[in-house]
Amino acid sequence: MTTRTTLLSAAGALGLLVGLGTGAQAATICFAFQDLETEFWVAGHKAITTTLTEAGNTVIERNANEDANRQLEQINDCIAQGVDGIILIPQDGESAVTIVQTAQDADVPIAVFNRPPSDLSRGIIVVADNEEIARQAVDFVAQEAMAAIPDRPIQPLILVGDLGDPNAVGRRDGFYAALAPYGDRFATPIEVATEWDAATALANLEAAITANPNVDLIFTSSDFLFPTIRSVLEPRGMWAPRGEAGHVLMAGLDGDATACQLIKDGYVDATGVQDLYFEAESAMNAILAAIEAGDTQPNQVIEDPGFALTSANLAEREMDMWGCVLLSEGFLNQ
Amino acid sequence: MTALAAPSRPPRPSPLARALLSDWFVLWLSVLLFVGLLPVLPTLGTPANLANLLSNAWPLLVVALGQTFVMTIGGIDLSQGAVIGLTSTLGAALAATAADPDVLSKAPIWGVLIGEQGGILAGQVAAAILATLIAAALVGLVNGALVAWLDMPPFMVTLVSLITVGAFAIWLTQSENIRNLPDAYIRLGQGEIVSIYIGPKDEPQIPRRQVHDLVTWAAVIAVSAAVLLHLLLERTAFGRQVVAVGANRRAAEIAGVPVRRVIVLVFVLSALCAALGAVLYSARLEAGRPTLGEGTFLLDVIGATVIGGTSLFGGKGKVLWTVFGVLFFVLLGNTLNLMNLSTFHIDMVKGGVILLAALLDVGRTRLQRRLG
Repeated sequence: MTTRTTLLSAAGALGLLVGLGTGAQAATICFAFQDLETEFWVAGHKAITTTLTEAGNTVIERNANEDANRQLEQINDCIAQGVDGIILIPQDGESAVTIVQTAQDADVPIAVFNRPPSDLSRGIIVVADNEEIARQAVDFVAQEAMAAIPDRPIQPLILVGDLGDPNAVGRRDGFYAALAPYGDRFATPIEVATEWDAATALANLEAAITANPNVDLIFTSSDFLFPTIRSVLEPRGMWAPRGEAGHVLMAGLDGDATACQLIKDGYVDATGVQDLYFEAESAMNAILAAIEAGDTQPNQVIEDPGFALTSANLAEREMDMWGCVLLSEGFLNQ
Repeated sequence: MTALAAPSRPPRPSPLARALLSDWFVLWLSVLLFVGLLPVLPTLGTPANLANLLSNAWPLLVVALGQTFVMTIGGIDLSQGAVIGLTSTLGAALAATAADPDVLSKAPIWGVLIGEQGGILAGQVAAAILATLIAAALVGLVNGALVAWLDMPPFMVTLVSLITVGAFAIWLTQSENIRNLPDAYIRLGQGEIVSIYIGPKDEPQIPRRQVHDLVTWAAVIAVSAAVLLHLLLERTAFGRQVVAVGANRRAAEIAGVPVRRVIVLVFVLSALCAALGAVLYSARLEAGRPTLGEGTFLLDVIGATVIGGTSLFGGKGKVLWTVFGVLFFVLLGNTLNLMNLSTFHIDMVKGGVILLAALLDVGRTRLQRRLG
């Protein structure tokens, strides 16, 4: 546990691993990301840039500001600059396909970090098993709900991400897969579109809760929406910790610091955890290995199995979640 | 006998004034920027980068051409970005050869415009593009009619269009992108007609990275649009009426110019250019996107047009100026990228350059008045 904590908290140590793992000479890497609007992306960005730089590589950063066309132009600029490899966080799955093809056509190896292209056959794709992670998290709250509400159908609600993003599709599929075995113990879920945007989520969740105040269970496809959920539930007396009247069973996915704090405080019951540092390390190792081997069109899918951190296993697995590690370092106080 | 005073001649313009008032001013500025930065940024002059510059310029040019006409009548069209989102979505929905029900089955267009087998015009690229042009023309018609007949400010009318049309585009697909565009559609944005390789021919297989697109379908479309609109603005009665309306609407009315018709046609033209730009952007990204044209895109369009020299006050505008403005703007963005500046710094610099261009416009107008 201690070793892992040290590894997670010190990106420099990760860099050492990268350097040792590949024996790579210094490379110029273009790191193109769509924006850094959530804790997950901020932490991922920091891990990748710090590690690559400390390993002696040059990192050219490109922020597309959520504009797919701009990201494509930035990638073309990077290729013209003669970069050795590209690490991409795309705007969505569709633009990722085009960008991966553009890079490979120009003989530049490319790795896609966490948000996979709609077509997984090209490029190094590092992706969490979103469906399974979501299923585990939702299954935990589903069982809690059935124990707490034995005498009537349980009303679940899901905040759906941007379905153009395969991550969002996988998470929604995992949600439904978790409820399917329990048949009519659960009413038809209420779906709330968020488009991965807090303002959209707020407006749609307000409307959904106003129309359906008897929601028993909420699953958010990303932890970054917990503050939004709180702002909707709290005025209605539905934001209460476990064991108190009015507690709505709640699960999320990502494993960020806010979710960790909320599980500890009892407001959230479970969250699916993506191993951010494993994903960052895998993307970097794979791209550096491809550069070293002269492989300009590496195709590989690296899956992060993830797990669910719940109120039941919090004590044992807390420090396996990147958000809890950040929390212990005072991330939320910064 | 009374001596008559000789008519006073306007002062002879200095070389600087002549340069400022020249049609070619922005082109020289672009050349200066390019040559000045080339020693510091050698990548700027590489064939790969030049090919990038051109490929970034074509779709922007098409959209900016429409904005040029609107600004020449003294207006502004803020709805172009939203029209791009709408027509990108519509065109892709109609022409797509397949669609994923998991993604689109909850969208209002599902089962109406598109199903699992693709759009109702699946594979019929020309028909799909024609349909999007009609949709864009309708938006332009409404914009133009409100400005022309109700005397509403173009800023307000097109701002409302920006919001409503943009929201409508997102509602159509519930914010989802539409993939599976036909190859013929994608070629419009990506397909090359002439590619070049510069270097020794000592390898049987030239690496793709060293082959650069020189003439693309996007280039052909953009240049054709620019030539046609140049002729329309410079060589036709309609073009003279556009300038006249922008210079002085009241005087144009008295002179018998059908001012309202001109205004409506100009807004329709602007929307058509946006739709054509949407085709190029969608083809480039291989998907229809309701959010295409959002963000700082309008900054690029208006910035390129103003930098070119088209007056914000109306009455002055040339297609050639916009071509140079787009070239300068794309080159500026490219050089800032190559300097590895962050997106935020790049947008700040772009904003500053647009402000400078607007100030220059004021200066040029005053200079012209002084020189008669």
